[in-house]
Amino acid sequence: MIQFNTVEIGYKQALLTINKLELKKGEVYALIGSNGSGKSTLLNTILKKNPVLSGNVYLNSTVLSSYSVTELAKTIAFVDSKFDGIDHLTVADYIALGRTPYTNALGRLHTEDHTIIDAAIEKLNLGTFRNRETLKLSDGERQMVSIARAICQSTPIILLDEPTAFLDYGNRKKLIETLSGIAKAENKCILFSTHDIDICLEEKGINLLVINQSKKELELYPNTISKSEIISIGFTLVNE
Amino acid sequence: MNKRTQLFFLLLIVTLIVSFVGHLFAGQVKITFSDYWNSIFHFNESNTNHLIVREFRIPRTLIAIIAGAGLSVAGMFMQTLFNNPLAGPYVLGINTGSSLFVACSMMTGLSFLQSDLGIIASALLGALVFGFVILFFSFFTRHHVTLLLVGLMLGSFTGAIISVLQTMSSAQELKAFTIWTMGSLQHVQFDQLPLVILFFALGTIGSLFLIKPMNVLVLGEKSTELLGFNIQLVRVFTIIITALFTGVVTAFCGPIAFVGLAVPNLTKTLFRTQNHSVLLIGNFFIGAIFLLISDSTIQLLEGTIQLPINAFTSLVGAPFIIYIVLKRLK
Repeated sequence: MIQFNTVEIGYKQALLTINKLELKKGEVYALIGSNGSGKSTLLNTILKKNPVLSGNVYLNSTVLSSYSVTELAKTIAFVDSKFDGIDHLTVADYIALGRTPYTNALGRLHTEDHTIIDAAIEKLNLGTFRNRETLKLSDGERQMVSIARAICQSTPIILLDEPTAFLDYGNRKKLIETLSGIAKAENKCILFSTHDIDICLEEKGINLLVINQSKKELELYPNTISKSEIISIGFTLVNE
Repeated sequence: MNKRTQLFFLLLIVTLIVSFVGHLFAGQVKITFSDYWNSIFHFNESNTNHLIVREFRIPRTLIAIIAGAGLSVAGMFMQTLFNNPLAGPYVLGINTGSSLFVACSMMTGLSFLQSDLGIIASALLGALVFGFVILFFSFFTRHHVTLLLVGLMLGSFTGAIISVLQTMSSAQELKAFTIWTMGSLQHVQFDQLPLVILFFALGTIGSLFLIKPMNVLVLGEKSTELLGFNIQLVRVFTIIITALFTGVVTAFCGPIAFVGLAVPNLTKTLFRTQNHSVLLIGNFFIGAIFLLISDSTIQLLEGTIQLPINAFTSLVGAPFIIYIVLKRLK
């Protein structure tokens, strides 16, 4: 789904190299690395917010640079680390905005759109507060609502930038489990950056993308890798 | 659309009809319903009441609706575009732009520029230029109050230029311009109405195409782009529509303060939604009703005190804005 071919990313200087890598449909990838190692830069590069310095990125075998803003919106959905909520914006209206790339110039929702929205709400068990204001939800609820919006965008790829950063332990675990479930059930390719190494290792079937700190390279590991290995690859500990 | 929204729309339609009819009969000269009927269907040039209806009452009522609706919708777009409840065509200096350009055209003595089209063109151009100036400054500041200060400074700066222009102009030009700045709904003539309605209709049609991007823009500019919009295009189109409404209203009525700031806030509070199709209709109605009632009040008070519309809307609008500042930005 997402292919990298000796790609260098960064701002002016290369921050991170990705040699040969393919992220597949139906899989979840946790992006792990120290602060400033290039996690957000990688996500922004895939979202075309940051240029590819060298090499090629392909989405669905089409080179990323040829995607228009509209095509990209139908291919990738993005969830930020925090959605603060907006006054007077209800959960249902917010989730419905995920349909934006498919509605006509006046933004009218059709029966098919409503079906997709209702299905997403049901899938994430958000039925009880679909008419609540987004401002009045807890951080955990808002993050689930954002994921429902991303699902409504009906894209093969979902990217999430540290979606668990502001959540408590229970909600972190629930969110990562939810992502795993969506990837399998809807055959989507999901990539999220995180610092929750433990939960990612506990949850079966999550692929780990670790930024190798010494080589400045992105490396793919299976779920069987140990926590200490990840730490020795990706992080520097002050006391060592 | 939920029950609450439907109920509000129904109430607004009734209120609009009542304030519309009330405004038609609010003037000092007593005009009966049959005068209205006859002046439209059996017009008699020698009948003073018929002339009053055609030359004053109908244009004044229509322009009140257009000005109220237009400024409020323009304010709504600016508030969403800048993500700022204090934004509006007046406070951000869009009106000021129109004033400056109109001042230039009124006081330069060029006869073409003093024609109707000349004034409209200058007001539109001024609104557009200042709209883009504010847009430019908005790239440097995300802070609510900073952008407002830029708008205020733009106002002072323009005021100074206008003062200089005034010292150089003739007594007659000066008088015409001073009266224009007070703002009034009674300068529009019957034969100018088609032009005003044309521009207003253009703005309204354009507004329909802004509903979708505005609904998304509430989530922020990054989300708007990721949902498939070209953000630059959205910004530019929003400024053009805002300038169109503000420019045409300012050209014919002079600067009218605070309507474009107060009404969108009121609408959002009443409807409790971020759905811009609901907000657009809401602003249309509430803006029109607000200006109809304001102008009716002015006409009823005419015997005792002469209030320019701009003074009236400021008297009502300024305290409301202080309230918003205290409530939403504490």
